[in-house]
Amino acid sequence: MHIYAFGSTCRGEIDINSDIDLLAIVDNFDDRFDPDIYSIYSYKRISEIWSEGNPFAWHLHTESKMIFAYNSTDYLKTLGLPSEYRNCKTDCIKFYNLFIDSYSSINKNHKSYIFDLSTMFLAIRNFATCYSLGIKNICNFSRNSALNLNGKSLNVSSDVYQSLLESRILSIRGKGTSVDRKFVENNQHEFEMIKNWMDNLLKEVKNA
Amino acid sequence: MHEFNNRINTQREVLKIVNSQSFKEDLFGLSKKSIERWANSNGILPDNDKCTLLFKIADKLFFLATKSQEQISNEYKSLSTDINQLISSLRVAFNS
Repeated sequence: MHIYAFGSTCRGEIDINSDIDLLAIVDNFDDRFDPDIYSIYSYKRISEIWSEGNPFAWHLHTESKMIFAYNSTDYLKTLGLPSEYRNCKTDCIKFYNLFIDSYSSINKNHKSYIFDLSTMFLAIRNFATCYSLGIKNICNFSRNSALNLNGKSLNVSSDVYQSLLESRILSIRGKGTSVDRKFVENNQHEFEMIKNWMDNLLKEVKNA
Repeated sequence: MHEFNNRINTQREVLKIVNSQSFKEDLFGLSKKSIERWANSNGILPDNDKCTLLFKIADKLFFLATKSQEQISNEYKSLSTDINQLISSLRVAFNS
């Protein structure tokens, strides 16, 4: 068994919304680990994502901190560098489609609008992370990865961005207050700007 | 469509079923904390049928995500079938 911390705490990005991301690497099913608290992976799966060059592998490689090792060996360090990330196009398309599906859903009815805003944020963040790693070869795993792409950063109003982020936290952690439904109607222009930003970066990804 | 996107769509479908009823507060997600918040906000006991179904669906979706990583296709199909059956039960629970 190995346990690691990763995520915003390891980057020193602490705010009132921060939690501590924990990874547990185990051989078999282990009911000591609450999946709401730990990301639980087998050693086999960790080895696979290292071979795939998966962004999560790069995230762990660059930022994780070991908390416990049953054999006093830092397992992730023994794996060395992950392989080159080769699935940038597939992953960016996946997150682009996630954004489009959520945007479409939110305009059809309001029955899941907080969840849709939450998944729009997830799509934006993960899209930016995959683009940064796959095209720029820069590891950028911050919650605000979309705002840290230098000349290609997402340019959207801070109120809209903050509302998307807060919707994400509300949907995942059940904390905070929901934005009013009128937020969706009042910010269609901003959502279109986000879509255009993704369209432009996706063209670059497809042509790479 | 990618399996990840399919799981998101499934969650969305569940939320739309729940939120089609008029509760004091909507269900915002299918994490354990979101379901607990929804139950607390609406005065619903955790052992109520509605909550039990939501927790079961959430658990199955979590395992589905795990199995998609391990690419065990038979177990994935079985979990997908279980989820569809639970969603049918959810529709009945929220329409009754």
